[in-house]
Amino acid sequence: MKHHQKIPHPRLQWRLAALKNGLQDATAYRIEFLFEIFGSAFVPAAVQWVLWYALFKIGGATRIGGMTYLEMIHYTFATLLFSQVRGGDHDFELGDMIRTGQLSNYLLRPVGVVEFIYIRGVAPRLLIAGICLLLGATVGLWFGLSPSRMVGAMSLALVGNIIHYQIGATLATTAFLWEESYSLLMVKNMVVSFLSGELIPLNLFPHSFQWIWKSFPFYLYVYGPAEYALGHWSHEEFIRQLGFSFLWILGAWLAIRASWGLGLKRYLSLGG
Amino acid sequence: MVIEIKNVRRSFRSVVKKEGLKSTFGLLFRPEYHVHEALKGVSFTLEPGSFNGLIGSNGAGKTTLLKILSGLIPPSAGEVKVLGHTPFHRTLDFRRKIALVMGQKAQLWWDLPAIDAFDLIRAIYEIPKPTYQERLHTLSELLDVQPMLNTQIRRLSLGERMKMELIGAILHWPSVIFLDEPTIGLDVFAAHKLREFLKVFNQKEKATIILTSHNMDDIERLCSRVLILKSGEVIFDGTPTGLTEKDEILLRVRLLENVPLAAMQQATGISDVNLERRGDEQINGNTFLFQIKKDQIVSILQVLMKKFQIADMGIEEQSLEKVIQRIYSEDRARTT
Repeated sequence: MKHHQKIPHPRLQWRLAALKNGLQDATAYRIEFLFEIFGSAFVPAAVQWVLWYALFKIGGATRIGGMTYLEMIHYTFATLLFSQVRGGDHDFELGDMIRTGQLSNYLLRPVGVVEFIYIRGVAPRLLIAGICLLLGATVGLWFGLSPSRMVGAMSLALVGNIIHYQIGATLATTAFLWEESYSLLMVKNMVVSFLSGELIPLNLFPHSFQWIWKSFPFYLYVYGPAEYALGHWSHEEFIRQLGFSFLWILGAWLAIRASWGLGLKRYLSLGG
Repeated sequence: MVIEIKNVRRSFRSVVKKEGLKSTFGLLFRPEYHVHEALKGVSFTLEPGSFNGLIGSNGAGKTTLLKILSGLIPPSAGEVKVLGHTPFHRTLDFRRKIALVMGQKAQLWWDLPAIDAFDLIRAIYEIPKPTYQERLHTLSELLDVQPMLNTQIRRLSLGERMKMELIGAILHWPSVIFLDEPTIGLDVFAAHKLREFLKVFNQKEKATIILTSHNMDDIERLCSRVLILKSGEVIFDGTPTGLTEKDEILLRVRLLENVPLAAMQQATGISDVNLERRGDEQINGNTFLFQIKKDQIVSILQVLMKKFQIADMGIEEQSLEKVIQRIYSEDRARTT
């Protein structure tokens, strides 16, 4: 019997090929890739652990922001998983491409450059998300956490990854105006580190300051998934937040279209 | 016509940075700008399937013109049509039909072998697999890079990399190819291979090619038409042979005596632009090359025979490089 290989739709074909290519590129150096997965996660987690240990064990606190020491450790573990999915600095790559003129290589290909760079860049993140999901579900079972919640939380973290890139891609267009977007993207990343819940749980914010993190989509990257995975958010709340995240995606997509449309008119294709 | 451009102008504004720390701080508050006109009303048309050379000194506007033609940047004024499209609109159909190769800009991914990059390009351009395999085989055979297809790009030599770049750029069989100094930095053998390939591709596939190069061998061997750009203007548009077959010749005269160049200029009235002293006097005697019009031969020889002792003389073939150098010098002299 002849085996008929199913050929994906052309529009899907290049996206799948870009994913494959991105993964090949990210794993070209095995040691570097393993460090990227495991290395970067441990410093923020260690900082959190030292902080909670000092406050609970040395300082004698029993609850902080309504959370016990064990709950804080659970939160730290959850952020360890979801903050790995949030990352990926392909927005920096966009800014650099505009500045150096490397963008020209992509502009003449019959695919959207912002989407192309995202798909190539997200490929290793998807692999990392898979590993983190497996790890989270396994360890979570031990702590009595639901694997289905872990799947939902990881999906929200991946949606957060899209929003994170979209915001970065919009900010990167400042390179069309000022030739450099590096500092702006760095500031964005620092704000994200703080307001995503990667460093501290966002419910530790004073009540009158809660509006700050609620006004940005960053909490959907780490805090939101962690809250859902740990059972602090109900299913209804999760669905509501997922709805919000899609609204953010739509808004950011419009921002990308506008900023890239304007920016490309100023593009100089420098560098020979 | 496959390419039509009418009165195209393009200017760039850039910040002027004066020397010193004071001006560095000054820039933070009140930057000064300089407007540079890269193209000043360029017009020409190109026929389908033609191989065209675009030459000019650094800063003449060649790359700017290629960027406008490929749709990377818009012109400040004027009209551009490539394959009936306005390039800067960068429609999908347009992008599928063109290719731009920049000798100084890598398009392939540094850490991957070329074969992985080509596979992605295949998917982007929706090239059917059998067609892709056939093209890849043909191109890699022609360019002699088949054994290197699975080697990481960063581990290839400059010449091998350039060949891979070229394959990646034309795997989709474009109708128009823009080549910006594709032989830059290549050794003689690699440059020759690349030239041979471009020649065959142009003849077989009837693709329209525009090539910019500082290497006159590229232009002489490949192009049926040459456009010379000087400070953003076309100062010559014709065949390469048209450049060398004007009514001018290169007269070589070897004297028995030692005559300084200045004395020769004074005696014949030929300016230093058109007069050259060649080689080692001990070996070649005292040889002078005169770039003169045909009807000047008799009068020059009369002067030379009257004033100096001539050992031998002859007419030499002009190199394209020399001719272009002279065109530049004449243009500079005219404008200053």
